[in-house]
Amino acid sequence: MGQEPITNGKLPITRREWLFEAGVGFGGLALGDLLARDLWAGATASPSMTDASAPWRQPATARSVIFLFMEGGPSHIDTFDPKPDLNRLAGKPLPPSFKPVITPMGEGRAPLLPSRRKWKQFGESGHWVSDWLPNIATCADELAVIRSCWSNGLNHVGGVCQMNTGSTLAGRPSLGSWVSYGLGTENANLPGFVVMLDNPRAQVAGGPRNWGTGFMPAVHQGTRIEGGEEPIANLATPTDVGTDRQRNKLDFLGSINRKHHETRFDQTELDARIRSYELAFRMQAEAPEAVDLSRETAATRSLYGLDDPTTESTGRLCLLARRMVERGVRFIQIYCGAGSRWDSHSEIEINHAKACRAMDRPVAGLVQDLKGRGLLDQTLVVWGGEFGRTPMSEKGNGRDHNPYGFTMWMAGGGVRPGIVVGRTDEVGLHAIEDRLHVRDLHATILHALGADHTRLIYRHQGRPERPTVNEGQVFRRLFLA
Amino acid sequence: MNASRRPIGPILLFATIASMATAGEGTPADRAIQAERERFFEQRVRPLLVESCYSCHSAVKQKGGLRLDSIEAILGGGDSGPALVPGKPGESLLVEAVHYDGPEMPPSGKLAPEKINDLTRWVAMGAPWPSADRTRPHAAGISPEGDRTDPQPLPWSFRPLRRPEVPDVDALPSPDGSDWSTNPIDRFIRQSLAAKQLEPAPRADRLTLIRRLTFDLIGLPPTPEEVDAFLADNRPDAYERLVDRLLASPRYGQRWARHWLDLVRYAESDGYRQDAYRPDAWRYRDYVVQSFNADKPYDRFLAEQLAGDEIDPDDPQLRVAAGYLRLWPYEYNQRNVIGQWEDIVNDVTDVTGEVFLGLSIGCARCHDHKFDPILQEDYFRLRAFFSPMLPRDDLPLARASQCETYRQKRSAWEQAAAKILREMEDIARPYRDRGTASALAKFQDDIRAVLTKNEADRTPYERQIGALAFRQVAYEHDQVPRILKGRDKARWAELQAKLKAFEAIRPEEPASVMTVRDVGPIAPPTTIPGKPRKGTIEPGFPKALDPSPPAIATPPAAPDSTGRRLALAQWLGRPDHPLTTRVIVNRIWQYHFGRGLSGTPSDFGRLGEPPSHPELLDWLATEFIARGQRWKPIHRLIVSSEAYRQAAVRPFDEVVHAARIDPENRLLWKRTVVRLDAEEIRDAMLAASGELDPGIGGPSVSATSPRRTIETRIARNAPDPMLIAFDAPDGSVPIPRRVPTTTSTQALMLLNGPWTLARAKSFADRVERMAPASDGQRPRILAAYRLAIGRPPDASEIEEAAGFLDRARRVSHPPIRNADHAALVDFGHVLLNSNEFLYVD
Repeated sequence: MGQEPITNGKLPITRREWLFEAGVGFGGLALGDLLARDLWAGATASPSMTDASAPWRQPATARSVIFLFMEGGPSHIDTFDPKPDLNRLAGKPLPPSFKPVITPMGEGRAPLLPSRRKWKQFGESGHWVSDWLPNIATCADELAVIRSCWSNGLNHVGGVCQMNTGSTLAGRPSLGSWVSYGLGTENANLPGFVVMLDNPRAQVAGGPRNWGTGFMPAVHQGTRIEGGEEPIANLATPTDVGTDRQRNKLDFLGSINRKHHETRFDQTELDARIRSYELAFRMQAEAPEAVDLSRETAATRSLYGLDDPTTESTGRLCLLARRMVERGVRFIQIYCGAGSRWDSHSEIEINHAKACRAMDRPVAGLVQDLKGRGLLDQTLVVWGGEFGRTPMSEKGNGRDHNPYGFTMWMAGGGVRPGIVVGRTDEVGLHAIEDRLHVRDLHATILHALGADHTRLIYRHQGRPERPTVNEGQVFRRLFLA
Repeated sequence: MNASRRPIGPILLFATIASMATAGEGTPADRAIQAERERFFEQRVRPLLVESCYSCHSAVKQKGGLRLDSIEAILGGGDSGPALVPGKPGESLLVEAVHYDGPEMPPSGKLAPEKINDLTRWVAMGAPWPSADRTRPHAAGISPEGDRTDPQPLPWSFRPLRRPEVPDVDALPSPDGSDWSTNPIDRFIRQSLAAKQLEPAPRADRLTLIRRLTFDLIGLPPTPEEVDAFLADNRPDAYERLVDRLLASPRYGQRWARHWLDLVRYAESDGYRQDAYRPDAWRYRDYVVQSFNADKPYDRFLAEQLAGDEIDPDDPQLRVAAGYLRLWPYEYNQRNVIGQWEDIVNDVTDVTGEVFLGLSIGCARCHDHKFDPILQEDYFRLRAFFSPMLPRDDLPLARASQCETYRQKRSAWEQAAAKILREMEDIARPYRDRGTASALAKFQDDIRAVLTKNEADRTPYERQIGALAFRQVAYEHDQVPRILKGRDKARWAELQAKLKAFEAIRPEEPASVMTVRDVGPIAPPTTIPGKPRKGTIEPGFPKALDPSPPAIATPPAAPDSTGRRLALAQWLGRPDHPLTTRVIVNRIWQYHFGRGLSGTPSDFGRLGEPPSHPELLDWLATEFIARGQRWKPIHRLIVSSEAYRQAAVRPFDEVVHAARIDPENRLLWKRTVVRLDAEEIRDAMLAASGELDPGIGGPSVSATSPRRTIETRIARNAPDPMLIAFDAPDGSVPIPRRVPTTTSTQALMLLNGPWTLARAKSFADRVERMAPASDGQRPRILAAYRLAIGRPPDASEIEEAAGFLDRARRVSHPPIRNADHAALVDFGHVLLNSNEFLYVD
């Protein structure tokens, strides 16, 4: 769409011919702004790099990613990683055989807190899932449960930052930005990287830079999407302006901008800006449709829990995610418990029961719905938080942050269903087998999307920057064949 | 082939690669492929050879008679014959060896499959090796001492600074109305253009020039009155007078300070979970603004920021300046105190290397730099300059004498109110004791041990760690009175009310400031993590730049300081410093032209872009020194050049011709149109609508205020949506060059956002005041054009605008009361959205 050249009376050739005429190298002329589709993704780098010919492209097993981010740190030892020994040792301090750790609240010497969950194995895979997650449990055979994740972020901001950017320190592009840069989008009228918060007024730890682009052009940043009339900020024409007035303004704007561009024909970003307004106008029409859940059947809405106030918020976002996937959006991130709602320094029973209930049915509904529509094969669903929680107690009934070992799971997108990867120690403190660092997870997610993380390069100040900070390994056993 | 039917992607891919080509021959496509291959070699193969092979096969050792550090040596081979046959991996010993197929190399263990694959691919490509150094062995810090035994020639930027001859271009013609033979800058530029048979563009007209110059120097549009005055000024030096007026404006500092704030990642909040606001951070911003307005010499400017406390510890302004060393993010509850302190000192080292030296030295923290002559030891030598620093929040913004006066008055007040104060202290004590205990409990044993040790018994390092950890204890103490309960709370309130009786004699506390001092005259030792054998690393400069030991002496004014940072500042500020000088004049050039002579302003290393006009850069650097390292003379020199004053618009044929030769316009055959920065967009809208608040300086204000953007609050975790959308930095990392993007988010924000619409309304009001309705719409169209884009509309534009206003007046839905006003709001809104408003010729 939108690639028809701007012609005008004065110039004998079209813009495309101009490009070709002078096409000996456009490095300095805001190359990426040439194509309207690249207003959302691919700009300033070379848009052609999003072609299959880009050096980092490889066969993909997934087309889109839905990253369900349990912000605040869910307890792995109360959800997917049962530890009978923990309950045996409950009330005692951590035995000296375990390597001591720094914890934010200094609970390294606090007595171990047992898990009060009832655990059962589910499906043919026999995945252990606690009674907090009865609906996800029914999807057990779709899940690849990774029990050996670890990270470096001791606190929320560093942890969330690393889970998004690979580094605990601010300043690097988010994984979704790398995907937008490296793979582009498949729908020119929607952003390629969208971010949704179940609690739109909350602030994710560290703020919007978690979906920011760091040293990359801002065009690759995640776009906040909300349900309702105005899914994207400033999308709606103000009511006191109205459509007629808006159209009149846009026509005039287009006219004076084209006249301005006529004599500055080689400055392609002027043309890109003209197109950005046209795209904005089209989005005003298309984006609300993409987020219009009234078109979904009652059965689908119920599947996602839209009929229950406790699950409605997350359910809405999960259903939106499916609609985005259908429309070619590459990277969708949903913050469940936005504002560190999973953070359970005390009263984990109350806190986690609530947080689990809010997302259990919607997430299960998402997996089932994707499966039912044949979308799960091409969609990688990722579930997890910035860290897990300690086996040591805090304030008697809570758990502290645990970046040393925690669980995430993936489903669909070419991942081998029903497997367990890795292991934590007897109490779930340290990951001890098949340890997967955040950067390994990122390498693996990019691998699924068809990008080699060692070749996916953005040149910043002369340095070749990579999404995994020159580290990370693809965990190949996670994939089918 | 019918070119226009070709898909556009491959054309662009081709274009991109072609523009990357630096060496090689043949068609652009050949060069492109060659460049890509060499890049592959540099990124994937050379590091592999260095890491896995050099220890036995390079300058140090030649096992089996084989060296792998130059392609000639590789092709020449060793005792077993040539190590490879270009293009034939199947016949190459090197490939067999890494496959463990015959000789098994490296013997310590098989390479990872990716590496074997890379090496094989490289041989299959014909073993590309950058042609400039086919025979010269490449060394990479591999001798047992870790020093380079056989360094590569230094990168261009490391070479000594010399003043080049200004070229003679008198024989070359100048376009009508311009003179390219006077300003030395023009002589360099003109010569490079002539070498490529390119002609410069004619001088831009005065309307264009005043808008360009005003935005460039003060970040604001010229007012219609200023435009009229300039157009009417017939004196021969009218332009120079305009330059002088703008450079003398206090608005100049507000504009150019912003460039500096980008570089030092200035923000006003902590940047972590709490993102606590730093209420005094603005003082550093004001310091930078004032420094620019005062045209402070650069060596002084950098010394004040790096070592203000060692120059004069009693000078409050220097305390503010040293706030440069406090711009790092801070996490108030990070229990990994040692790790946080590491991050802080690393951060200051990295930023300093980037900002002042233009080098990405951060790479050398973990290993010798892969591309530049910076060793890991160099990194820690540089880091050692900062290792003694101690963050201080307790130093007031006052001289010692003023503090003494304050202390006396305070003491009188305390005596008068002693009874009340004592009772308050008694109430607070148990809460604070609990707070202390709780804070201590959260630390590991090592930190607790430091905190419970006597201050006098602590080593310098323990004092640093202790001070950082103690902030967490102090944080708990500061929770009083918020956490007081029940009767304590009530009593506290009563006492506070009673305290009011003594308010008259209570002195105002001097403002505080975030700054640093050294921990003491003895620095904590710097070591390289994991390399205890290297022992203590003493401060020093990158050896490739300056192997001599720094002249560190106790600063006369600051006997409690090590003098390390002052020594670093003095070295950086040396007039013969090859990097500091080149880096800064390149930055100045960039801010004037939108692109530096080198396009990688913070990477002057081997991977950076060599300057388009190396001699001009060196000439400017020496000129900068000759003019006392002041910025304003350099601004004056640059903006009065013909190169700067060129038109942005040229006839089609000329552009096509020139773009074929120099597509990126690096040779400056015309002016490149640039978009306004985020701050300029906001400020220009306020200026056009007549709402801009003329005040300067002081605490930062909300973005809803009509103050200039540089004075609005910057919270790292809650950046202003409009500024971020238009590519303003969020204060996390140094930004040497903003990348302007074009997004629909921006379009939606300007089109539908309430802030812009409100400006359009004020703009319409202003136009109505300037041109009464009785005079018809033509004067209003004229006024609107002049206010928004600084020029009168031509006849066709007036006609089109009139047509638009007519249509706008007739829009019936939604109903409005004043159709004339609404139409004018629409008109203003469109102008504020237009490219001519957002871009400068």
